[in-house]
Amino acid sequence: MSYFEECLRLGEWLSEADRRALYRYLLESNKINYGVQANLLLKDSTLSKKIANGEILYSLINNQVTFAARRIGSEDFTPDIRTIGLTGLRFVDLWRLEKFFAQSEVDVIQNFPLLGENQQSEGGFGVDAYPYYTLAYYADGRNYLKGLIKKLTTNDSEILTKLRAL
Amino acid sequence: MPITIPKSILLAPKIPSIAVVGLLAAQLIVLNFLNSPEPTCTLVVERPHHSTSVKERQNLDSIKLNITSKCTAPQEYTRVTARIQKLQNDREVTVSNFLSRTANSTARVPSEATFRNLFTECKFGDEAAYRGSAEGYVMLKGGKKVKVTGNSGKYEVANCSIGAQ
Repeated sequence: MSYFEECLRLGEWLSEADRRALYRYLLESNKINYGVQANLLLKDSTLSKKIANGEILYSLINNQVTFAARRIGSEDFTPDIRTIGLTGLRFVDLWRLEKFFAQSEVDVIQNFPLLGENQQSEGGFGVDAYPYYTLAYYADGRNYLKGLIKKLTTNDSEILTKLRAL
Repeated sequence: MPITIPKSILLAPKIPSIAVVGLLAAQLIVLNFLNSPEPTCTLVVERPHHSTSVKERQNLDSIKLNITSKCTAPQEYTRVTARIQKLQNDREVTVSNFLSRTANSTARVPSEATFRNLFTECKFGDEAAYRGSAEGYVMLKGGKKVKVTGNSGKYEVANCSIGAQ
Protein backbone atom coordinates (compact mmCIF):
# COMPACT_ATOMS: atom_id res chain seq x y z
CA MET A 1 0.00 0.00 0.00
CA SER A 2 1.37 3.44 -0.91
CA TYR A 3 1.63 6.14 1.72
CA PHE A 4 -1.10 8.09 -0.06
CA GLU A 5 -3.45 5.10 0.25
CA GLU A 6 -2.46 4.85 3.90
CA CYS A 7 -3.33 8.53 4.36
CA LEU A 8 -6.79 7.88 2.94
CA ARG A 9 -7.30 5.45 5.82
CA LEU A 10 -5.67 7.42 8.64
CA GLY A 11 -8.35 10.06 9.09
CA GLU A 12 -8.02 11.78 12.44
CA TRP A 13 -4.64 10.15 12.95
CA LEU A 14 -3.06 12.32 10.27
CA SER A 15 -0.61 14.70 11.88
CA GLU A 16 -0.38 18.41 11.13
CA ALA A 17 2.61 17.77 8.86
CA ASP A 18 0.81 14.89 7.11
CA ARG A 19 -2.17 17.10 6.34
CA ARG A 20 -0.01 19.89 4.99
CA ALA A 21 2.04 17.53 2.83
CA LEU A 22 -1.13 15.83 1.62
CA TYR A 23 -2.45 19.21 0.52
CA ARG A 24 0.70 19.91 -1.50
CA TYR A 25 0.67 16.43 -2.97
CA LEU A 26 -2.98 16.67 -4.06
CA LEU A 27 -2.36 20.08 -5.56
CA GLU A 28 0.57 18.93 -7.67
CA SER A 29 -0.80 15.54 -8.68
CA ASN A 30 -4.34 16.67 -9.54
CA LYS A 31 -3.56 19.90 -11.33
CA ILE A 32 -5.22 18.85 -14.61
CA ASN A 33 -8.26 17.31 -12.89
CA TYR A 34 -8.73 20.37 -10.72
CA GLY A 35 -8.64 22.59 -13.80
CA VAL A 36 -11.43 20.58 -15.42
CA GLN A 37 -13.44 20.56 -12.18
CA ALA A 38 -13.00 24.30 -11.72
CA ASN A 39 -14.33 24.95 -15.22
CA LEU A 40 -17.32 22.73 -14.52
CA LEU A 41 -18.02 24.52 -11.28
CA LEU A 42 -17.80 27.94 -12.92
CA LYS A 43 -20.15 26.77 -15.67
CA ASP A 44 -22.75 24.93 -13.56
CA SER A 45 -22.34 26.74 -10.21
CA THR A 46 -22.31 23.37 -8.47
CA LEU A 47 -20.01 20.38 -8.38
CA SER A 48 -20.00 17.12 -6.49
CA LYS A 49 -17.14 14.69 -6.07
CA LYS A 50 -15.94 11.88 -3.85
CA ILE A 51 -12.70 11.30 -2.00
CA ALA A 52 -11.89 8.58 0.56
CA ASN A 53 -15.22 7.86 2.26
CA GLY A 54 -16.65 11.32 1.77
CA GLU A 55 -18.62 13.30 -0.75
CA ILE A 56 -17.97 17.00 -1.31
CA LEU A 57 -20.53 19.43 -2.63
CA TYR A 58 -19.29 22.78 -3.96
CA SER A 59 -21.66 25.65 -4.58
CA LEU A 60 -20.99 28.94 -6.33
CA ILE A 61 -23.24 31.78 -5.23
CA ASN A 62 -22.50 35.48 -5.74
CA ASN A 63 -18.82 34.95 -6.52
CA GLN A 64 -18.38 32.87 -3.35
CA VAL A 65 -17.59 29.19 -3.51
CA THR A 66 -18.41 27.09 -0.47
CA PHE A 67 -18.14 23.42 0.26
CA ALA A 68 -20.07 21.04 2.44
CA ALA A 69 -19.42 17.34 2.91
CA ARG A 70 -20.98 14.12 4.05
CA ARG A 71 -19.93 10.56 4.66
CA ILE A 72 -20.75 8.38 1.66
CA GLY A 73 -24.10 6.77 2.33
CA SER A 74 -25.14 9.44 4.80
CA GLU A 75 -28.10 11.70 4.06
CA ASP A 76 -27.06 14.96 5.67
CA PHE A 77 -24.36 17.30 4.52
CA THR A 78 -22.38 19.33 7.03
CA PRO A 79 -22.98 23.05 7.15
CA ASP A 80 -20.65 24.98 4.82
CA ILE A 81 -17.12 24.29 5.96
CA ARG A 82 -15.08 26.81 4.01
CA THR A 83 -15.63 29.70 1.63
CA ILE A 84 -13.41 31.28 -1.00
CA GLY A 85 -14.12 34.46 -2.90
CA LEU A 86 -13.73 34.69 -6.67
CA THR A 87 -12.40 37.74 -8.45
CA GLY A 88 -14.05 37.46 -11.87
CA LEU A 89 -10.61 37.07 -13.48
CA ARG A 90 -10.79 33.56 -14.88
CA PHE A 91 -7.13 32.56 -14.56
CA VAL A 92 -6.98 33.84 -10.97
CA ASP A 93 -10.19 32.05 -10.08
CA LEU A 94 -9.02 28.77 -11.61
CA TRP A 95 -5.82 29.03 -9.62
CA ARG A 96 -7.78 29.78 -6.42
CA LEU A 97 -10.20 26.95 -7.01
CA GLU A 98 -7.40 24.43 -7.49
CA LYS A 99 -6.13 25.30 -4.01
CA PHE A 100 -9.62 25.23 -2.60
CA PHE A 101 -10.21 21.75 -4.06
CA ALA A 102 -6.99 20.38 -2.56
CA GLN A 103 -7.83 21.93 0.80
CA SER A 104 -11.35 20.53 0.83
CA GLU A 105 -10.09 17.07 -0.06
CA VAL A 106 -7.65 17.08 2.86
CA ASP A 107 -10.47 18.26 5.13
CA VAL A 108 -12.67 15.39 3.97
CA ILE A 109 -9.94 12.74 4.09
CA GLN A 110 -9.25 13.53 7.74
CA ASN A 111 -12.93 13.35 8.65
CA PHE A 112 -14.24 10.59 6.40
CA PRO A 113 -11.34 8.19 5.81
CA LEU A 114 -11.69 4.93 3.95
CA LEU A 115 -13.06 2.24 6.17
CA GLY A 116 -10.37 0.07 7.65
CA GLU A 117 -8.71 -0.90 10.85
CA ASN A 118 -8.37 2.71 12.02
CA GLN A 119 -11.43 3.21 14.11
CA GLN A 120 -12.41 6.87 14.19
CA SER A 121 -13.89 8.51 17.24
CA GLU A 122 -17.38 9.90 16.92
CA GLY A 123 -17.37 13.62 16.56
CA GLY A 124 -18.28 16.51 14.34
CA PHE A 125 -16.42 17.64 11.26
CA GLY A 126 -13.10 19.09 12.42
CA VAL A 127 -10.62 21.08 10.36
CA ASP A 128 -7.68 23.43 10.70
CA ALA A 129 -9.21 26.84 11.20
CA TYR A 130 -7.13 28.50 8.48
CA PRO A 131 -6.64 26.96 5.04
CA TYR A 132 -3.14 25.90 4.04
CA TYR A 133 -3.04 28.27 1.08
CA THR A 134 -3.16 31.34 3.31
CA LEU A 135 -0.46 32.96 5.39
CA ALA A 136 -3.01 33.00 8.21
CA TYR A 137 -2.47 29.24 8.54
CA TYR A 138 1.23 29.64 9.22
CA ALA A 139 0.62 32.72 11.38
CA ASP A 140 -2.32 31.04 13.11
CA GLY A 141 -4.28 34.20 12.36
CA ARG A 142 -1.83 36.50 14.15
CA ASN A 143 1.46 37.99 12.99
CA TYR A 144 1.70 37.50 9.23
CA LEU A 145 5.41 38.30 9.11
CA LYS A 146 6.07 35.46 11.53
CA GLY A 147 3.71 33.39 9.39
CA LEU A 148 5.76 34.12 6.30
CA ILE A 149 8.94 33.10 8.08
CA LYS A 150 7.27 29.93 9.32
CA LYS A 151 6.03 29.14 5.83
CA LEU A 152 9.50 29.55 4.39
CA THR A 153 11.04 27.37 7.08
CA THR A 154 8.37 24.65 7.09
CA ASN A 155 9.76 21.58 5.42
CA ASP A 156 7.45 18.69 4.67
CA SER A 157 9.68 17.26 1.94
CA GLU A 158 10.17 13.93 3.73
CA ILE A 159 6.43 13.21 3.81
CA LEU A 160 6.00 14.59 0.30
CA THR A 161 8.64 12.16 -0.96
CA LYS A 162 6.76 9.32 0.75
CA LEU A 163 3.52 10.48 -0.88
CA ARG A 164 5.07 10.71 -4.34
CA ALA A 165 6.44 7.16 -4.12
CA LEU A 166 3.87 4.79 -5.59
CA MET B 1 -89.99 59.13 36.55
CA PRO B 2 -87.01 56.82 36.56
CA ILE B 3 -84.16 57.70 38.77
CA THR B 4 -80.78 57.52 37.07
CA ILE B 5 -77.89 57.05 39.36
CA PRO B 6 -74.77 58.56 37.79
CA LYS B 7 -71.91 56.10 37.38
CA SER B 8 -69.05 57.05 39.57
CA ILE B 9 -66.06 58.06 37.55
CA LEU B 10 -63.99 56.05 40.03
CA LEU B 11 -65.69 52.85 38.92
CA ALA B 12 -65.22 53.44 35.21
CA PRO B 13 -61.99 51.76 34.03
CA LYS B 14 -59.51 54.22 32.58
CA ILE B 15 -57.46 51.46 30.89
CA PRO B 16 -59.36 48.98 28.77
CA SER B 17 -59.29 45.49 30.23
CA ILE B 18 -57.72 44.06 27.06
CA ALA B 19 -54.75 46.35 27.60
CA VAL B 20 -54.41 45.16 31.21
CA VAL B 21 -54.33 41.55 30.08
CA GLY B 22 -51.79 42.47 27.42
CA LEU B 23 -49.55 44.23 29.92
CA LEU B 24 -49.70 41.28 32.31
CA ALA B 25 -48.78 38.91 29.51
CA ALA B 26 -45.90 41.15 28.45
CA GLN B 27 -44.66 41.30 32.04
CA LEU B 28 -44.78 37.53 32.25
CA ILE B 29 -42.78 37.15 29.06
CA VAL B 30 -40.15 39.69 30.15
CA LEU B 31 -39.80 38.08 33.58
CA ASN B 32 -39.56 34.66 32.02
CA PHE B 33 -36.87 35.89 29.62
CA LEU B 34 -34.89 37.52 32.42
CA ASN B 35 -35.09 34.43 34.59
CA SER B 36 -34.14 31.93 31.87
CA PRO B 37 -30.43 31.12 32.20
CA GLU B 38 -28.02 32.28 29.52
CA PRO B 39 -26.43 29.38 27.66
CA THR B 40 -23.03 28.55 29.05
CA CYS B 41 -20.17 26.52 27.63
CA THR B 42 -17.21 24.80 29.21
CA LEU B 43 -14.02 23.52 27.66
CA VAL B 44 -12.99 20.11 28.97
CA VAL B 45 -9.26 19.65 28.42
CA GLU B 46 -8.16 16.13 29.22
CA ARG B 47 -4.77 15.26 30.66
CA PRO B 48 -2.10 15.02 27.92
CA HIS B 49 -1.17 11.34 27.60
CA HIS B 50 1.10 9.04 25.65
CA SER B 51 -1.16 7.83 22.87
CA THR B 52 -1.21 4.13 22.15
CA SER B 53 -3.67 4.69 19.31
CA VAL B 54 -1.29 7.00 17.42
CA LYS B 55 1.49 4.48 18.06
CA GLU B 56 -0.61 1.69 16.60
CA ARG B 57 -1.71 3.63 13.53
CA GLN B 58 1.25 5.85 12.74
CA ASN B 59 4.00 3.97 14.60
CA LEU B 60 4.72 7.29 16.25
CA ASP B 61 5.26 7.99 19.94
CA SER B 62 3.22 11.03 20.74
CA ILE B 63 1.54 12.98 23.48
CA LYS B 64 -2.12 13.49 22.71
CA LEU B 65 -4.57 16.08 23.95
CA ASN B 66 -8.32 15.51 23.82
CA ILE B 67 -10.64 18.48 24.13
CA THR B 68 -14.42 18.74 24.22
CA SER B 69 -16.56 21.84 24.39
CA LYS B 70 -19.88 21.34 26.16
CA CYS B 71 -22.71 23.83 26.15
CA THR B 72 -26.13 24.08 27.71
CA ALA B 73 -27.55 24.91 24.26
CA PRO B 74 -27.00 23.56 20.75
CA GLN B 75 -23.86 24.85 19.07
CA GLU B 76 -22.74 25.29 15.46
CA TYR B 77 -19.04 24.83 16.04
CA THR B 78 -16.16 25.47 18.40
CA ARG B 79 -12.81 27.00 17.58
CA VAL B 80 -9.85 26.42 19.88
CA THR B 81 -6.16 27.10 20.09
CA ALA B 82 -4.46 24.52 22.28
CA ARG B 83 -1.03 23.92 23.71
CA ILE B 84 0.87 21.45 25.83
CA GLN B 85 3.14 22.71 28.57
CA LYS B 86 5.88 20.75 30.24
CA LEU B 87 7.61 21.21 33.58
CA GLN B 88 11.29 21.68 32.98
CA ASN B 89 13.64 22.67 35.80
CA ASP B 90 10.59 23.84 37.79
CA ARG B 91 9.55 26.11 34.96
CA GLU B 92 6.58 25.85 32.63
CA VAL B 93 7.70 25.48 29.03
CA THR B 94 5.30 25.36 26.09
CA VAL B 95 6.39 22.35 24.08
CA SER B 96 3.56 22.18 21.61
CA ASN B 97 1.49 24.98 20.15
CA PHE B 98 -1.28 23.55 18.02
CA LEU B 99 -2.69 25.58 15.18
CA SER B 100 -6.28 26.71 15.64
CA ARG B 101 -8.88 24.08 14.84
CA THR B 102 -12.62 24.17 14.44
CA ALA B 103 -15.01 21.30 15.05
CA ASN B 104 -18.70 21.12 14.31
CA SER B 105 -21.18 19.62 16.71
CA THR B 106 -22.96 16.47 15.64
CA ALA B 107 -26.64 15.88 15.06
CA ARG B 108 -26.49 13.24 17.79
CA VAL B 109 -25.00 15.58 20.43
CA PRO B 110 -25.65 19.13 19.16
CA SER B 111 -24.37 20.76 22.33
CA GLU B 112 -20.85 19.31 22.09
CA ALA B 113 -17.84 19.47 19.78
CA THR B 114 -14.77 17.30 20.14
CA PHE B 115 -11.14 17.67 19.14
CA ARG B 116 -9.33 14.39 18.80
CA ASN B 117 -6.35 14.92 16.56
CA LEU B 118 -4.12 17.13 18.64
CA PHE B 119 -0.92 15.19 19.11
CA THR B 120 2.77 15.87 18.97
CA GLU B 121 5.77 13.58 18.65
CA CYS B 122 7.74 12.63 21.74
CA LYS B 123 10.68 10.48 22.78
CA PHE B 124 9.44 7.38 24.53
CA GLY B 125 11.19 6.36 27.74
CA ASP B 126 11.95 9.86 29.03
CA GLU B 127 9.51 10.97 31.70
CA ALA B 128 8.03 14.45 31.70
CA ALA B 129 5.12 16.22 33.41
CA TYR B 130 2.53 17.85 31.16
CA ARG B 131 -0.49 20.04 31.30
CA GLY B 132 -2.82 20.92 28.45
CA SER B 133 -4.63 24.20 28.00
CA ALA B 134 -6.81 25.79 25.38
CA GLU B 135 -8.94 28.79 24.66
CA GLY B 136 -11.31 29.83 21.95
CA TYR B 137 -14.98 30.32 21.40
CA VAL B 138 -18.19 28.48 20.73
CA MET B 139 -20.61 29.67 18.08
CA LEU B 140 -24.04 28.73 19.31
CA LYS B 141 -26.93 28.01 16.99
CA GLY B 142 -28.56 31.40 16.52
CA GLY B 143 -25.23 33.20 16.22
CA LYS B 144 -24.26 33.90 19.83
CA LYS B 145 -20.54 33.63 20.51
CA VAL B 146 -19.34 32.32 23.88
CA LYS B 147 -15.69 32.55 24.88
CA VAL B 148 -14.24 29.41 26.44
CA THR B 149 -11.03 28.53 28.18
CA GLY B 150 -9.83 25.46 30.03
CA ASN B 151 -6.90 23.40 31.19
CA SER B 152 -6.22 19.88 32.31
CA GLY B 153 -5.38 20.88 35.89
CA LYS B 154 -2.20 19.84 37.61
CA TYR B 155 0.86 18.57 35.78
CA GLU B 156 0.89 14.82 35.26
CA VAL B 157 3.74 12.60 34.29
CA ALA B 158 3.91 10.68 31.02
CA ASN B 159 6.66 8.33 29.95
CA CYS B 160 7.48 10.24 26.80
CA SER B 161 9.24 13.55 26.39
CA ILE B 162 8.47 16.29 23.88
CA GLY B 163 11.40 18.50 22.92
CA ALA B 164 10.92 22.26 23.29
CA GLN B 165 9.56 24.03 20.18
